[in-house]
Parts: sequence; structure tokens; C-alpha cells
Amino acid sequence: MTLNVPATVVFVVLFLLVTWLGFVAAHWRKADLNQLHEWGLGGRRFGTVVTWFLLGGDLYTAYTFIAVPALVFGAGAFGFFAVPYAILIYPFLYLVFPRLWAIARERGHVTAADFVRDRFGSRVLALAVALTGILATMPYIALQLVGMEVVIGALGFPASGFAGHLPLIIAFIVLAAFTYTSGLRAPALIAVGKDMLIFVTIFAAVVIIPAKLGGYGAIFAAVPPDKLVLPEATLDNFGKQSAYATLALGSALALFLYPHAMTGILSASSGDVIRRNAGLLAAYSFILGLIALLGYMAIAAGVDKDPAYASGFGQYGSNFAVPALFLASFPSWFVGVAFAAIAIGALVPAAIMSIACANLYTRNLYKEFLRPSCSEAEEARMAKIVSLVVKIGAVAFIIAIPQAYAIQLQLLGGVWIIQLLPPILFGLYTRAFNAQALLAGWAAGTAVGTYMAGTQSFTSSVYPLTVFGVTVPGYAALYSVAVNVLVVLLLTPLFDLVFKRASVSAPR
Amino acid sequence: MAAHKKKTAPRQTVKPDPAKARRGAGVFTYWPRLLFVIPVLVVLWVPFYNRTEPALGGVPFFYWYQLTWVLIGAVVVLAVYLLETRVTGITPRTGADVDPGATGDVL
Repeated sequence: MTLNVPATVVFVVLFLLVTWLGFVAAHWRKADLNQLHEWGLGGRRFGTVVTWFLLGGDLYTAYTFIAVPALVFGAGAFGFFAVPYAILIYPFLYLVFPRLWAIARERGHVTAADFVRDRFGSRVLALAVALTGILATMPYIALQLVGMEVVIGALGFPASGFAGHLPLIIAFIVLAAFTYTSGLRAPALIAVGKDMLIFVTIFAAVVIIPAKLGGYGAIFAAVPPDKLVLPEATLDNFGKQSAYATLALGSALALFLYPHAMTGILSASSGDVIRRNAGLLAAYSFILGLIALLGYMAIAAGVDKDPAYASGFGQYGSNFAVPALFLASFPSWFVGVAFAAIAIGALVPAAIMSIACANLYTRNLYKEFLRPSCSEAEEARMAKIVSLVVKIGAVAFIIAIPQAYAIQLQLLGGVWIIQLLPPILFGLYTRAFNAQALLAGWAAGTAVGTYMAGTQSFTSSVYPLTVFGVTVPGYAALYSVAVNVLVVLLLTPLFDLVFKRASVSAPR
Repeated sequence: MAAHKKKTAPRQTVKPDPAKARRGAGVFTYWPRLLFVIPVLVVLWVPFYNRTEPALGGVPFFYWYQLTWVLIGAVVVLAVYLLETRVTGITPRTGADVDPGATGDVL
């Protein structure tokens, strides 16, 4: 591929504009950024509109734009599980998280591990929560990089060697710099600009591309019929249908346990802001559904058979479907807009994720175990430095490790993060559970989930569970968290006899 | 829902209205939240929508059904919100404990 000059120029200009926004953000609602809750939570002052943009940019990422249509392109109807997933997250958000926000606000928690530490009085359990959060987020940041790398490659930059990684490295240095100076204010402000680009791109994509291809009927007619629906379930094997439902449910339960989602929620200005957004964020879910259909448009347009894109598909696999579709359907300058939307769509969550990891490290490892006496300013400075380290780690990860299906990376992180469901969810409503039992449940769930993914050679997180001769393939995260909950329920009465309960803060 | 037993109810963002508190905050105080059962069941029962007919403008049932439920799901969430703020009064209408110096609740 040769360099697409008009697209690259538009891309670079938009990228510079966003960089400027990122630095300007430090002065937005000016406050002392040497305090962790100001740098890392934006002072908990984001209202309904800013939270809508922030959570939208946080949750609907490069993953949305690249991996979901890639899965629909490759696997058909199965990839559409992202839509029921996006429906299920909002009741969960509404029911659980305004309460967590209120407790965190009242008691000054910055991370989920802060909450668990305070609630159960267990440093070890809080450490497990913090480490799980950091470990699960790292592959998620890498996933954002995959999205960015695909569009940079599609612009025609050389794909291999140091030169191939250079644009990505530059983008990340820029990202690291504005995250360092502005904290969570940067992705919040950038998310607003990014969404304008995304709305324009998606509107164009769902109007112009079908018009070129002869309408939605023609698009679906071009898809092989066996891809359009899931294979029928049989009496002894539920096949893809149970996998579809459990992936949707498990991913939905896992989503808001991720540190970056937690950071977005805790930065809201009230529990009411979260409740309203539980309804309003569905606009993004609808767009996600339209984006998923881009996978079928790519099939109908036959981009995978076009020799012009053969090298791109060779390098990036199905992940190249959407970039190829845009290249084939849009004028060069608009390709620049669309690709900038995707690349910036990777920057926003990557910034929030690195901030969330930095908050976890600083609050729950550094301050808890290494420097209990550190000052507020030192705490904030440490978090800023860790946010840099996290990003360097993510870039090294993506350069050193070959890319498989990007979506699977996120699914494995989901298996780990969902194990935080018992300490966080149960902890919100009751102290009845024993901290040691929660720790044992976490360990058991993590081990079982990882084993299940291991039996699939870590290429799939769908595990064919067999009960009484009936095979029910399902999301390993959901199965393993069931083991987790079971262990917690069984061991709590036992451990209550063995261990003396740590004295926790007075009941409220 | 075990989550909403009497003793946990007062832990709200804003102090509950005394008049409502007198009426008591039992499990049924949160009745609008039962509406959430609808989108969850509808979406998880895959065999119901795993088919192509009836198609809508060439779009198979599988796809337009789920996209429609994204919108209905949002309506359900907003309905629960409105019921809780205007009818049962469990949820405060505004974030009253926002910093006085903040830019208001809208932005």
C-alpha cells in the first residue's frame, strides 16, 4: 500500500487538534491537580452531559469500531452478541452503581479496592481487587492499540519494523503527555470532540454505504444464509445459542467492574447523573449495533476479495474489514475523518484506563503497603508517573506480542475482572460475607476461569460445560464467577468460626 | 430483591424525604425496578429471535429485533428513573449534594 496523502493530512490535523484539547483540559474547571481526586477523578464534578460523553468514549472504544464488525464479518450472527450485551449493561448500571458512588463519595474512595478495603477491613482482599483490576486492564489497553495500529496501517504507513511502530509510539507519547498534565479532564474533553467525528462517520457509513451497495436488503442477501442466524441448538448440545446469551450476560456483569468504568462512574457529580446516563447511554448501544452491521457491509462490498486490500487482510485479518470498507466507500479526505475518529476513539479509553491503573497502584499498593505516610501531593505525583509506566507497558506489550483476535484479549480480561463481582456487589449491600471467604472465592474463580480458557488454548473464552450429558457452551467468566459465589457462600460460615473478623468502620 | 431490605434503604445520596420515610421503605418501594426484568428476559431468550423471518425491509428478524430492544431497553430505564423520581420519590430529583461551586448538574 502507498501512503494515502489526503487521508493522512486530515488524520494528522484532527489528531493535533485533539492533542491541543488534551492540554487545554488542564485549565478546564481549574483546580489543584496535585490532589489525586482532582487529577484522577476530575474532582467528581462531571454532570449528566460530560458523563455521557466520558462514559460513552470510555466504554465504546476502538474495540467497538474494529473488533465487533470484524467478528460479524468473520463469524456472522455470533458477533452480534455485543448488542444484547449493550442492552444488559444499563439495568445493572442503574441498580448498582449510584449506591457505590454515594458510598465512595462519602468515604473518599477513589478506587474499587478502596471501597473493599474500607468495607471488609482486609488489606489482602483489597490487594487482590487492585491487582486483578490492573491485570485485566493491561490487555484492554493493548486492545485499544490494536485498533489504532490497524487504521495507521490502513493509511498506508509501512507496516513492519521500527518505522511501522513509530506512528503508534508518537501517538502514545502525546497521550502520555496530556494525561500526565490534565488527568481525567483530558479524556473527558477529548471525548466530546471524538464523538462528533464518530457520529459523522457512522451517519455517513449507514447512509452512503448501503446506498452504494443497493440497500440493506441487498447487503443481507449477500451474506451466506448460514451466517445470518446462530446454528440450531440440539437436545444434547445448546451450541452457539447458550454461548451467545452467556457472553452477553457475562460481559455485561464484568463491564462496570473494570477500573476504567469505575473511574468514569466515580467522577460523576451525583448518583442521579449515573441513573440518567443508564438510560441515555443507550444511544451508544444503538450506534454499536449499526457498527456491527459494517461487518456485513464489508462482506457485501467484497473488500476481502479486492487485491488492493489483500496485504491489509494478510496483516490484520478480519480487523481490516472496516478500514478496507471505508477506503473502498469514502473519498480520501473523509477516510481521514473516519480513521481519526477510530484512533481518537482508542486514545480516550486508553487515557482513562491508564489513569484507573495509576489510581489503583497509588492508593492500594503504594500508599497501603509501601508509603502509608505519603502526602496528598506525593500521592498525585506517584499516580501521574505510574500512568506513564502503564502506557509504556502497553506499547511494549503490543510490539512484542503477536496479535491474535483482538476481541479475545478483552474476553480473557473479562474472566478475571468478573471475579470482583462478589466483593463489590455483595459488599454494597451487606457485610455478612467473610473477607477470607471472599478471597478464597476470588482465587477459586480466577483459577477455574483461567483453566477453562486454557482448555480452549486461550483462543476462546467459551467453555463447553457438560452437565448430565448435555453440553452447554458458555462464557467461562460466567461459569467461573458462579464457582466464586458458591465458594463464598460455603466458606463464610466456616471461616467466621476460624478467623476473628477484622474491625471495620462503624455500621452506617 | 434482597438488596432493598428495610435497613439498607436510608443509605441514599440525599436524605430521604421524611414523609416518604414514614410510609416505610419496604421491598415494594422499589417496584419500578421490576420493569428491568423485561429487557433482560427478552434479550437472553435467544431461541425466540434466532430466525430470519419476518424480515423488515430486507433486514432479518434477528437483527431488527435486537436493535429495537436497544431502544425499548433505554425507554424502560428512563421510565424506571421517572417513576422513581416523580412517583415513589425514592430517587432524589437532582443531585442536591453537588458542590455549590460546581457548574451545575447539566454539564
